[in-house]
Amino acid sequence: MTIVTAEAPPAPAIGAEPRVRSAVPVLRTVLATLATAVAVFLLATFATFALGAASGSNPAAVALGEVATQADIDRLNHQFGLDRPFLVRYLDWIAGAVTGQLGTSWFTGIPVADSIAQAFPVSLSIAAGATIIALVGGFAGGVLAAVTRGGVVDRLITLLSTVAATVPAFVAAIGLILLFAYAIPLFPVAGYTPPDKSVGAWLLCLVLPSAALSLDAGADIARQLRTSLVGTLGENFIVGARVHGLGPARIVFRHALPIASGPALSTLGVHAPRLVGGAVITEVIFGMPGLGQLANRSALQGDVPVVQGVLLVTIAVIVAVGAVLNLVISRAGGTERSAA
Amino acid sequence: MNTVSRLWRSGWTVRLALLILLAVATLAVAGPAIAPQDPLAQDAASALQEPSWAHLLGTDYLGRDVLSRLFAGAPASLLSALAAAAIGLVLGALPGALSAFVPRVGEWLALRVVDALLALPFILFAIVFAALLGNGLPQATLAIGILVAPGFFRIARAATLRVRDSPYIDAATYLGASAWWVLSRHVWRQVAPNLVVAAVSALGGALLAVASLTFLGIGVQPPAPTWGGMLSSDLGYLGQRPWGPLAPALAIVVTVGALNVVADAARDVLGADAPARQKEAVRV
Repeated sequence: MTIVTAEAPPAPAIGAEPRVRSAVPVLRTVLATLATAVAVFLLATFATFALGAASGSNPAAVALGEVATQADIDRLNHQFGLDRPFLVRYLDWIAGAVTGQLGTSWFTGIPVADSIAQAFPVSLSIAAGATIIALVGGFAGGVLAAVTRGGVVDRLITLLSTVAATVPAFVAAIGLILLFAYAIPLFPVAGYTPPDKSVGAWLLCLVLPSAALSLDAGADIARQLRTSLVGTLGENFIVGARVHGLGPARIVFRHALPIASGPALSTLGVHAPRLVGGAVITEVIFGMPGLGQLANRSALQGDVPVVQGVLLVTIAVIVAVGAVLNLVISRAGGTERSAA
Repeated sequence: MNTVSRLWRSGWTVRLALLILLAVATLAVAGPAIAPQDPLAQDAASALQEPSWAHLLGTDYLGRDVLSRLFAGAPASLLSALAAAAIGLVLGALPGALSAFVPRVGEWLALRVVDALLALPFILFAIVFAALLGNGLPQATLAIGILVAPGFFRIARAATLRVRDSPYIDAATYLGASAWWVLSRHVWRQVAPNLVVAAVSALGGALLAVASLTFLGIGVQPPAPTWGGMLSSDLGYLGQRPWGPLAPALAIVVTVGALNVVADAARDVLGADAPARQKEAVRV
């Protein structure tokens, strides 16, 4: 019986001839990414918009609570344009989003775009820090495990990465706080210092949240890299390089690693949504005023425009990161990320 | 039952995991009834206490008994995870199996929807969902159910695709079998074991998601105890009671770990029925 893989990519043109760098596969990748991006975007925004409309939540109930009279409700609904038909509002919102207008908060009246602009650098710093830690830690662990394959170090790294991948975000974060903020007070327990105030304090306050967020991705990269590197090191051309008298370090880093790192890098693509949008818990635990905390606080207040704005921006970032990673991977190793 | 006895015989870790799950299931049903004390009773004089005979796991910042809160919080956490996994199963598996038999346009659309759902930031989407539909446990459960559905979709679709192209299906069709016969007799037998495995690991994922949301304050109102909510209230008192988060964190991690062990064992036990099984977990 032939085993049909789950989601076979439509045309494996890249895999067939890795050395031919024509524009067609890249264009295909771009188009496929765009199609997914548009689908994600429309589906997510339309669904949340429809939900908001169906739930009948309104700014008067959110801002004024129980004391809101019908006149208040009508007045605020008119002020926020909620008395218009649903589709008109949706198209208006999308059109506004393109020009950077995301409406105003029902609760505070502050423009949503301003709140997001304030919170975005915080989330970006944490996500960037987490990516760096995951890449450095994951590659170091993966390479080390692959070259000591079967040994104690390999088994230790495999065990560590399994633990890191299974422990939920909040447990890891609390563990890190207890260890590196209370027991060994190296880093601040919580809070964010912007870089324009003090670059040192900014870096210091980012270490623990970034580390907590990076665990999952770092463990995955390490495991993925170990598997592909072990496979690559068994190839004939590696034996050939050894016969030519090249040193082990040169073989691993110059010959095997560039080929083996493709799958590990595409792991990062899978993790990108979690790094960007999964930071909610990390931000709340570490008291970081980022997008996740903004979304959480607004959600608890029922502040619909803010929550929708955060979701829109997050999805836009995820889609953009995914597109860039797709391109990098398709150009670097010709290893195609699975289409679905 | 046969499957359970085969699971039981597949090693001591699996046996331990099954016993843990049995205990957890008991808590989910009878947790509030067997809680030794009132989980809501506050006692400011005995706040943040160490474990003692009066309070086996100590007390929280309001002097409430931690063990009682752990027991009383079990149903909310566990039953909504169960409901979310069930919602995901129904929303994902059926369209997944059907997607192998519909015209290409429908197939393409279904795959794009799944792509879109997989690209969504999980927790953020659940938060948005709860904010829009009103902050309650049913809403949070529904959101998690929708988010675990793509995992079921892909597993059901992959298993169905494997069967669809096999010669014995062609043979059955040539012998005059109806589409319904093929689906219920041949496809279902291939898909079901994979779905059982997926459901067990999805349950673990859903439990983590519920714990994450209740940790953030989504889905429950404060006095009601949940495992995630207990964690978040312990977080403010790490200085005075650093071991405080241990009990709820262990409850969550051990349950999820036991579910993962059982899912792995079930994959091996049921795998005999599914020749080319696909190892794919639902991830949060």
